[in-house]
Amino acid sequence: MKRAYRSLLATAAAGVLALAATACSDDGGDTSGPIKVGAINGVTGLFQTPEVPQAVKAVFDEVNAAGGINGRKIEFISKDDAMNPQRATEAAIDLIESENVVALVGSSSAVDCGLNRATYTNNNIVSIPAVGVDPACFTSPNIAPVNPGPFKLITAMLYYASETLGHDKVCMMFVTLPGAGAGIDSAIKEWEGITGKQLALKNTAVGQGDPTQYLVQAKSAGCQAVLYNGVVGPWTAQAKTQGMQDVDFIVAANSYTDANAEVVPADIKVYAGTEWQPYTDETLPGNDRWAKIIDANKIQKTAFSQGGVMAADMFVEVLKTIKGDITRESVTKAFKEMQPITYPMVGTPYVFGPGDAHNPIEGSRFVKAVGGKWEVLPEGFIVPGKK
Amino acid sequence: MLNSVVAGLTSGGVYALLGLCVVLTYRLVAVVNFTMAACGAVGAFVMVTLMDAGLTGWLALPVGAAAGAALSALLGSALVSWFSQHDERTKAAVTVAVYVAIIAIGLRLFGSNTTGAHRFPSPFDAPAFTVGSVVVPQAVLVSMGFAVLITVGVSLLLSKTLIGLRLQALSERPTTAQVVGIPAPRLAIGVWVAIGAISTLVIVLVAPRLGGDFATLGNLISTALAVAMIGAFRSLPLTLVGGLLMGCLEGAAGSVAEIQKYAGVVPFLVMLVLLWWRSRGEVWDTAHSR
Repeated sequence: MKRAYRSLLATAAAGVLALAATACSDDGGDTSGPIKVGAINGVTGLFQTPEVPQAVKAVFDEVNAAGGINGRKIEFISKDDAMNPQRATEAAIDLIESENVVALVGSSSAVDCGLNRATYTNNNIVSIPAVGVDPACFTSPNIAPVNPGPFKLITAMLYYASETLGHDKVCMMFVTLPGAGAGIDSAIKEWEGITGKQLALKNTAVGQGDPTQYLVQAKSAGCQAVLYNGVVGPWTAQAKTQGMQDVDFIVAANSYTDANAEVVPADIKVYAGTEWQPYTDETLPGNDRWAKIIDANKIQKTAFSQGGVMAADMFVEVLKTIKGDITRESVTKAFKEMQPITYPMVGTPYVFGPGDAHNPIEGSRFVKAVGGKWEVLPEGFIVPGKK
Repeated sequence: MLNSVVAGLTSGGVYALLGLCVVLTYRLVAVVNFTMAACGAVGAFVMVTLMDAGLTGWLALPVGAAAGAALSALLGSALVSWFSQHDERTKAAVTVAVYVAIIAIGLRLFGSNTTGAHRFPSPFDAPAFTVGSVVVPQAVLVSMGFAVLITVGVSLLLSKTLIGLRLQALSERPTTAQVVGIPAPRLAIGVWVAIGAISTLVIVLVAPRLGGDFATLGNLISTALAVAMIGAFRSLPLTLVGGLLMGCLEGAAGSVAEIQKYAGVVPFLVMLVLLWWRSRGEVWDTAHSR
């Protein structure tokens, strides 16, 4: 009993301290020094995206070199969360309360959105992640990523399989991350609503291990197209063994890497849905600017680094519309009231807006593995329901 | 259903091999070795890295196996020199710590799934025969053959040869073994070398079918330990059968839509029942021996 009382007291004390800290902080209201911007990025740990903060910083460096925004430089502070929930939570509090950042721009963390969404709402601060990973990134009032995210991508992949490739028997073999089940189901429902079609086979419980059993299921169901989001190498190698050369495999954006293009056997058909203009072709609209920045700063070229550049660009564009002081309050207001911005690297315009959930970027552009490389397909962005 | 069971057999061969490696270590040096798959993965990645640099497979494989063996020997010699007087629990804890370290360093060196997917050579991917609509690749036969070879070979080694006798003495009574003149430390490190090399071969064999990234391969240890449990960390033939059975069960469970989501759990339920069944006997024995 005594112990419970003491812990209650400790909690209350911590609460008071937190309140005091909020009261003391100036809410990113310092208008003379640099504009402080934060990000939470997985740099070490299982979800590694070191190139994202580098790309964001490269854009801000460019802006600063040209004189900054209204004469103020942008100071970018990236925190590594190492995919550790504790560190991600601490990083958000540190950025908001100690560093007094005006916004979070270019986050790329597998755990940030789910853990910190309430913190962002309570502090009236916006986050524009470069890469939204977990479902919470697309269902929170103060978060709006610059990528379509896993669920809009599923709808686009299904649409591509049934409408662009024209298959009747579309199947889905997915590895489901904890908490993603409902998002997958609503993505399928959206596709069903647009096309009036049904999945021929759905298995969202694909596990690790030899993929043969799942391939055999797909073969028995007569699948013409199979959506898949797991490890590519063994899947395609075993698909070849099972003689599935006539099936179109459509993999998710996480599989769109140079290494994966190399492991696909020559006679297996693999398409990948991308979130931004395929980064492997630098002549595509918007990619020229991205490639220039990435090359100049010697950053690794990945799709995620495109997200970094885009998030930073969106932020700078919105900052330019702010009349008066740039504070956390004015930045949040500007994002909630912003006009949609057309950006050539994605399928739909980016807008934050006032709603309680944001998933502004839709659609996907598809690439096909040919001879160990990804070849960009000519259709352009496939946005479900739009020609 | 039959299709799924046969398809599950392809996983089963892999499970059996992994389980056998763990049981083997436990039988020979009395250590529950959490680093088994990680050591093998290091060896396997040394091999593919060399192959990416242009070396042929036949040269790269022995070098990789040597790397896996060296890492395993390093761990073995640490255990022999610093922890030989400690109980099994402490030794297992040491291997857990080393396992965490190897995974962390390996991820840094060889990359994660997105950055470091490697193409492992898969010489046995050609179809061997077809059952129903399942094409069974040669790799399944090779892994089963390898598993049987390990089971029979080690059983014979232990029961028929002098070195086997010494190894048994070493694992059961290390101090006594040393007193009667068996060169315990040298023999033990020899065993660790062999286990490192065999683990590398096993990982190289299963990698093309499970995914060529370091974390996936290193984490195979959880499956390996589960299968080893079926053989009670003792019986090689039971481990072999258990691994195959587990693969088939998983395949069968995956084909029934209602329990599909829990397909991964089914083998562990079976294992739980097995463990309970066994311990039931022990409780009975203990109760009656008083």
